[in-house]
Amino acid sequence: MERNVAVETRDLVHVYPNGGVKALKGVNLKIYENDKMSIIGQNGSGKTTIVRHFNGLLRPTEGQVLLFGEDTAGKSVGEMARRCGYVFQNPNHQIFCTTVKEELEVAPKNFNFTEEEKKAEIDKVVEMMHLESILNTHPMTLDYTTKKIVSIASVLVFKPEVLILDEPTGGLDEVGRRMLTQIINMMHEDGHTVVMISHDMDYVAENSDRIVVMSQGEVIADGEPKEIFLNAPVLERAMIAPPQITSLDLFLDGKGEAALSVQDFVRKYKN
Amino acid sequence: MGKPIIEFKHFSYRYPNSEEIVLKDINLTIEEGDFVGIIGCNKSGKTTLCQSMVGILPFVLGGDWDGEIVVDGKSYNETHGEGSSDVIGIVFQDAESQFTQETVEDEIAFAMCNFGFEKSLMRERVEYAAKACGLWEMLDRSPYRLSGGQQQRLAVACILALRPRVLLLDESTSQLDPQGRDEVFRLVEELHASGSTVIMVDHNIEKIAESTNKVLVLHNGEVVDYGDTHKVFANKEKLNEHFVRVPQVTDAALAIREKLVGDIVPITLKEAEATFGNYKREG
Repeated sequence: MERNVAVETRDLVHVYPNGGVKALKGVNLKIYENDKMSIIGQNGSGKTTIVRHFNGLLRPTEGQVLLFGEDTAGKSVGEMARRCGYVFQNPNHQIFCTTVKEELEVAPKNFNFTEEEKKAEIDKVVEMMHLESILNTHPMTLDYTTKKIVSIASVLVFKPEVLILDEPTGGLDEVGRRMLTQIINMMHEDGHTVVMISHDMDYVAENSDRIVVMSQGEVIADGEPKEIFLNAPVLERAMIAPPQITSLDLFLDGKGEAALSVQDFVRKYKN
Repeated sequence: MGKPIIEFKHFSYRYPNSEEIVLKDINLTIEEGDFVGIIGCNKSGKTTLCQSMVGILPFVLGGDWDGEIVVDGKSYNETHGEGSSDVIGIVFQDAESQFTQETVEDEIAFAMCNFGFEKSLMRERVEYAAKACGLWEMLDRSPYRLSGGQQQRLAVACILALRPRVLLLDESTSQLDPQGRDEVFRLVEELHASGSTVIMVDHNIEKIAESTNKVLVLHNGEVVDYGDTHKVFANKEKLNEHFVRVPQVTDAALAIREKLVGDIVPITLKEAEATFGNYKREG
């Protein structure tokens, strides 16, 4: 069945000011509605640069970006951010209010939520992410991980149709990772599109239906995790090591479907 | 057994204006030459423990404490943490927030300037630290124009220039890409091999399993387990109970034990390739 396209880049080129280097070299990529996908690649491969075009945080040097079929050129970040929410890698770059509560209220206020809508969405997120005890705390006094959780919460309160998570697991412990998985699955089940940028291959392997691999400003592979982590030349070119359990499976077998999780591995070798 | 370099004796700690005791009756000894990994979920007390080791807590930031910490034979209860930087150098999670200088060279020399080192000694130490951390070709560069991995290596270089006997890294790799993370681990492994004691807080269980010889597990301010890395990771139930996972290969080995080679539960990929040898499919 043909699925609707949420975000599309057409021959997207980006050159940073004073850079001279093409951070993106004519990328054509379609992200479909309800995709649960990850973009992987080493630093400097263009992952963050491409997603920052999705809601206008960066503008194309050449080419086009379409958000739900509409060209983003000439549209403000404010207009697009409602549909495409971006959680920064570093929460210090995102958080600016003096209490966690105010931080959670920023987007609903900007997007003209009614008081009832605002309260309902914030209450839901606060409960799900266990933020009750820190609502009146100054975000900058929180540890890095809690700040990270607050930064995710502050985007989640307006439930954007496309949720972009830039390195969401950085600094998260197991409890945080489980909470993140719950959020991603909830958004996916509700029909939203989730795009994650991550270096955390264990997490990517278990939490994506599709993986896009980038290297030096280009998309070099696009497919299901089981295909991607079996593609040794692509992994080598992108300087990516598969999850530890996948590496063990490849050493022992090297054929068929790669085990992406411990459960996969145990199922394959138990008997 | 090596010589004790850091000892916690019934140490408990509470932050100023807080009721909660965040470190509870900590007893542990770190020996010279150890590479200790500290793991545990958030708010387990890992950072508080690190800051106590260097005397920031309670002697700079305040708070109530009980018991004592002895570093290199001297009790902090007597020294109030003074002189701790001669023994232990700490690298924080967010390297960028530590930088104040315009070039890598000045940044490495900054702490030495504050300690009043002779210029010739400073030059010698800058060279030593920059070369050890792979920054020798970048001395003129701004710290803010380095990659994440390079910034963390610079943070280590700044500490290394002071030649501490113990290197303490508090989640220094959590914001790095795999290359940057591997760079930092490779560097501290080399420093450990050349005689430094290394203590590292990190969420990357697979890397901790590969690099350390001892692991300390904290939960709710208490030591849940402390000892040989293999023994700690073999106890999956105990770790899971405290929201810490074991390496993926360990998890798999514990689930399928029938045909494993040898008695050791593997904790690294290399060990797993050997212990799972009987499962290898030819052709």
